[in-house]
Amino acid sequence: MAGVFTPMLQAIGRHRGVTAALVVDERDGIVVESHLHVGVEEDRVAALAASLYRKARLSSRAAGMGAVSFMQLEAPGGRLCAIGAAELVLIVVAQPSVNVGLVRVEMLRSIARLVEAGGGA
Amino acid sequence: MATSDDIRRMSDELARDPGSRVFVPLGDVLRRQGQYDIALKMALKGLERHPHLVEGHDLLARLYVDRGEFEKGFDEWDMVLRLSPGHLGALKGLGFICYQHERFADAERYLSAAARIDPADAEVASALEHVQAGHLQAARAGETPLPASIAADSRFLFVDVLREDGQTALLLDQQGLVLAGAYFNADGVDVAQNVGAELSGVTDAARRATRHLALGDWSSIVFETEVAVVAMAPAPSDGLLVLATTRETPLGLVRRLLDRCSEHAARWLRGLI
Repeated sequence: MAGVFTPMLQAIGRHRGVTAALVVDERDGIVVESHLHVGVEEDRVAALAASLYRKARLSSRAAGMGAVSFMQLEAPGGRLCAIGAAELVLIVVAQPSVNVGLVRVEMLRSIARLVEAGGGA
Repeated sequence: MATSDDIRRMSDELARDPGSRVFVPLGDVLRRQGQYDIALKMALKGLERHPHLVEGHDLLARLYVDRGEFEKGFDEWDMVLRLSPGHLGALKGLGFICYQHERFADAERYLSAAARIDPADAEVASALEHVQAGHLQAARAGETPLPASIAADSRFLFVDVLREDGQTALLLDQQGLVLAGAYFNADGVDVAQNVGAELSGVTDAARRATRHLALGDWSSIVFETEVAVVAMAPAPSDGLLVLATTRETPLGLVRRLLDRCSEHAARWLRGLI
């Protein structure tokens, strides 16, 4: 059954190298909706990535740098990208070869949908 | 000057005994004849068997420099100095590389050390004169790095790498304490310690995420905030490098700056700056 984020997640998931795209509640790391390749552990990705994004957001604010928009973690085995609004976080897991510029643009476009669904900025 | 008989004799010896140290003089002869590729292969193979052979690393450094690979040459001569502190050839070589890259202060430091070891070396004395002249010229052109009092202050470690307004970097130790760099807020107050302490907390979450998701050790984190783009990378000894730039800085450039700051910090930690 298609959810409110299905078209957005499918659009991101179509990018070469993307293995998972999820919308997660930032407070508890619970998955709201996801688009995953086989073998990706949805709950684990959601909890860890949401926790990382939350930590980055809080640290940034405490350091006087304001709210975090886009975040990207790079490791030899892949990339983790996140963008948040209205207590929802859009998380993308991708292979190292992914065109992160394209994925970032797609994720930035999705901000409005997150705000709308989350009920405010 | 080595004759073809000498070369044949050394080649035969190396063929008979691949563990022989004759690869050093033989490689040097081939280098002087411009046969860099063969000499390089020989030196690399020889060093596999004799990884602590000072003259082997010295040969390799010369070969890299002849091939224009200055960075690798620098690293090899750096290795020579670790194995044999005060090695004249390495000091001269490092002075030459720094001079080539217009790092006059560093070049002067290496060549001065070489001159102290061998005051009669006319080549070193002449090179030192050139370097000092170059340094003076750069200073007059307003391109000289920094006065010594500032250069010695670790808060200014990254000023040579980050030349644009709004770019700053911090090097933190494993406890999140600032080792080098500065972060000035809008009031001109250095808040590096606070910023460093807050941001270093992100790395625990990053480590946990990459471990559980089997992504390997994280190599960088970049996040865009309301006022800056922040990039972080692991530093030697479980330290952390934090780079902050303006939001207008392209993300690709942020990545490059992060790499350059990481290299700079690593050299500083090794006492090379």
